[in-house]
Amino acid sequence: MEHCRLAGPGGCGQGDALYARARRRNTLADRCTQEHEAAGSVRGYIHSVETMGTVDNGGIRFVLFMQGCVMRCAFCHNPDTWLRMGREVTVDEIMSEVLEYTPFFEASGGGVTASGGEPLLQHRFVRALFERCGGHHIHRALDTAGYCKYGDFASVLDCTDLLLFSVKVVDEEKHVKLTGVRNDVILSNLRLAAARGADIVVRYVLIPSVNDSERDLHDIASLVASLGDRVRADILPYNRMGVVKWRQLGLDCALERVPEPTPDDISRARRVFHECSVRLRTD
Amino acid sequence: MTDSCSGFKGIGWRERIDVRDFILNNYEPYEGDGSFLAGPTRRTKALWEKCLGLLAEERRRGGVYAVDARTIAGITSHPPGYIDRDLEIIVGLQTDEPLKRAINPWGGIRMVEMACNEYGAGLEPAVCEVFHKYRRTHNEGVFSVYTEEMRDLRRCGVITGLPDAYGRGRIIGDYRRIPLYGVDRLIEEKKNDLRSPGLTTITVDTIRLREEVHDQILALEELKEMARSYGYDISRPARSARDAFQWLYFGYLGAIKQQNGAAMSLGRTSTFLDIYLERDLRQGAITEDEAQELVDDFVIRLRMARQLRTRAYDELFAGDPLWVTESIGGMAEDSRPLVTKTSFRILQTLYNLGPAPEPNLTVLWSKSLPLPFKEFACKVSYDTSSIQYENDDLMRPIFGDDYAIACCVSAMRVGKQMQFFGARSNLPKALLLTLNGGLDEISGAKVAPEFYRAGEEPLEFGPVWDGLTRMLGWLAGKYVDTMNVIHYMHDKYAYESLEMALHDTHVGRFMAFGVAGLSVLADSLSAVRYAKVTPRLDSRGIATEFEVEGDFPKFGNNDDRVDSIARDTVVLFDTELKEHPAYRDAKHTLSILTITSNVVYGKMTGSTPDGRKRGEPFAPGANPMHGRDTHGAVASLASVAKIPYEHAMDGISYTFSITPRALGKTPPEAVSNLAGLIDGYFAKGGHHMNVNVFRRETLLDAMEHPEKYPQLTIRVSGYAVNFVRLTREQQEEVLARTIFER
Repeated sequence: MEHCRLAGPGGCGQGDALYARARRRNTLADRCTQEHEAAGSVRGYIHSVETMGTVDNGGIRFVLFMQGCVMRCAFCHNPDTWLRMGREVTVDEIMSEVLEYTPFFEASGGGVTASGGEPLLQHRFVRALFERCGGHHIHRALDTAGYCKYGDFASVLDCTDLLLFSVKVVDEEKHVKLTGVRNDVILSNLRLAAARGADIVVRYVLIPSVNDSERDLHDIASLVASLGDRVRADILPYNRMGVVKWRQLGLDCALERVPEPTPDDISRARRVFHECSVRLRTD
Repeated sequence: MTDSCSGFKGIGWRERIDVRDFILNNYEPYEGDGSFLAGPTRRTKALWEKCLGLLAEERRRGGVYAVDARTIAGITSHPPGYIDRDLEIIVGLQTDEPLKRAINPWGGIRMVEMACNEYGAGLEPAVCEVFHKYRRTHNEGVFSVYTEEMRDLRRCGVITGLPDAYGRGRIIGDYRRIPLYGVDRLIEEKKNDLRSPGLTTITVDTIRLREEVHDQILALEELKEMARSYGYDISRPARSARDAFQWLYFGYLGAIKQQNGAAMSLGRTSTFLDIYLERDLRQGAITEDEAQELVDDFVIRLRMARQLRTRAYDELFAGDPLWVTESIGGMAEDSRPLVTKTSFRILQTLYNLGPAPEPNLTVLWSKSLPLPFKEFACKVSYDTSSIQYENDDLMRPIFGDDYAIACCVSAMRVGKQMQFFGARSNLPKALLLTLNGGLDEISGAKVAPEFYRAGEEPLEFGPVWDGLTRMLGWLAGKYVDTMNVIHYMHDKYAYESLEMALHDTHVGRFMAFGVAGLSVLADSLSAVRYAKVTPRLDSRGIATEFEVEGDFPKFGNNDDRVDSIARDTVVLFDTELKEHPAYRDAKHTLSILTITSNVVYGKMTGSTPDGRKRGEPFAPGANPMHGRDTHGAVASLASVAKIPYEHAMDGISYTFSITPRALGKTPPEAVSNLAGLIDGYFAKGGHHMNVNVFRRETLLDAMEHPEKYPQLTIRVSGYAVNFVRLTREQQEEVLARTIFER
């Protein structure tokens, strides 16, 4: 699932209140998980699972949508994962389900994807889960926006096979406007991960008139190019699926009127990436 | 043998009738990809164009092109017919004109009268007279002995769809025997059987069998005569690939002329035919274009096969199907793949001629199949939604490596085993009968004993389950009795002498029972167990509505709390059926399959404790109920895979619908994911998977503009249909099903 979503700071007046509530819950949840020493009993909050994820990357994937995100991306298509609510589960519980699907992973080259929400908000849970998956040779992908302390990020990265790293926009001012947060930490996390030699796909949700100017495209493409050969990019055309969810949640969607990109928009973006010698995932 | 067998290896198959031995000695496994395949020739295109015109006209005429209401169908009943004599390579039609349907009153004269009436064809009075006055039909035979209890159970719909008024079908003649041996040799073998000690000791059983073999020989003689009318002598073996296709097709044609069976499946012919094609190719007698042309022409013929049926029948089996099921691929017991170039060529017809529901192309899937074949099949699925997959690794240990699928999911050894088809019993109805002390919740009539009776207080799982198990035990006995009556009469009045002539004389028999509405039952019991279900009784004291408080686990999410209920119910019912002896020592089997009857069964069934309202359709086959499998396709498959095949050996049907995007971002990714999905499901013990890849919008548009989608094909439940030929109600049910989207 595309990680995405953006914030509508300007858009939703309720954003701040939601944000504060989410923060309170996050702290609680983190305390909860610390109390349990054994990795298997680490608890996490999940929004839902999708047993046949196929869009994230190779193979059939068990996608765990973690609950909670502190970013408020205006183009988020899972705003229902923002708050830390959802179902409380242990790593053991999730693992026993994951193990049932190994024949599907083996046959398709698939595995487990931690997505969200922002999975790194529950880095202890994700790390414990990924460690267990590693023990069973199950491929692990982390689908993140990278907005967290580097130490927490690195602890998960240690046991991640593929990093799907979503960059919303490179320009800082635009980033704040679009997501409600700055992107300095995000970009430094991305560079540090690349420097460690991680297998990375940088994902860029292409939103007409929001982050698709020549400059925006050039910025992201040269950023990816600067990260080295191992890093690929994936252009995800913005889709309006999320708009319905916003309405259902009673939120105003800042991108209410923004259309999906046309095939021409997409090929223009692809061209910029190619000009900067960036490999696209679909190449 | 004569020169026709030059170049063939092996001895066993020459000494006895043994097609499998011939195949294993002579076929060439093909492990490459589809790059050798040829497109349609100009001739093929011209012929198919002509057929498309006829098919469009058939649709315009309300689904039936023409009826010959004067001539009783039989192997030699009609003079030769052609689509276009100059364009056809393989010849033979059921009547003297393409798509013209014949009348076949042996199963029941009333069905014929009704069908003629519905389609405005005046039935020849002499035919009516003969079958009302002088000759009893299968249908009349059955109703002359049905008990009142059987009639009640049938009428209320707890056991229904039974082949007591139509031909039972599901018998696969080994049509390959005709090209391999020639008809004379087959007759000779049958005559030898009549002289054998097993058939010369006279008992009731041998008298019946001797008469049957006598009829088989007559049928083979007639088949020769029919072929002769087209200018062919099939008394001898086929000499070329073209002969082989023609001979084999004559066998099949004879069968569908003689019998209007529900499912008239073809068997497992493509790898057999490949041996002839490869020999001709090797000798330079034909080119790849010509090889494909033969396959295309053969498939055109199978697409044009028709039977006359009533509109009520169409409710059970929508879309005018014949189940010309062809089983493709699988592995040999010696570990070689049974995939040949002709396995590719027959799938290629879906490109050369466009998608179509017939023949019902069924890939016998093994983990060990060559990867290029797996990917080719999945690509064809992705493009056409016209293929189903069945688990060869599950069936081969039971049925060997020369079995085929009859109808949708019923495996049997070709030419060595047959089945007595028995539709299905309605499980949710059985639950309602249990709750209401044996009263039908619709009519209020008493149709079963009282084992339990629900009051106005919330239901308790223990007593409900106990009552249901007793009800199912009782029902199983009645079901077996009913089937015994039906098949006794079918053998007596509508015996399939040609199809059985293409079997060994001593044949293994299955009696195939079935259940419908498994997921509705499992969810209902889950609701009783994990939520609070309070029956609402009407003035008759019958529970017609249920108030459900709280949530409960639903089948299709890989949740063992409810999946185990489905599994236990299947094991229980299968075990109960086996307690009651079946006609002709048949072995009991059970299917979880509905065809399209999930709609009509739902109509006959009141509201159920899972929240389903009166009259709403069930899910098809073993599928989770529409929209309740919320954890994605893999969890849904994992639930279905828990139903044990050894207790549902007539097949467990799962129909899967997904959008192209949800299957993968790019077509190659989607194809590879699909192959992984099938591999994974079958590794978990899954049995069958119908694969549909379509967008909801396409179907919606086809409902509004059917003329734009003459060939839009979708898989429903063990077979495929032309979407535009479904009734509105059935189309809506298809759309209500879970379509996995991203």
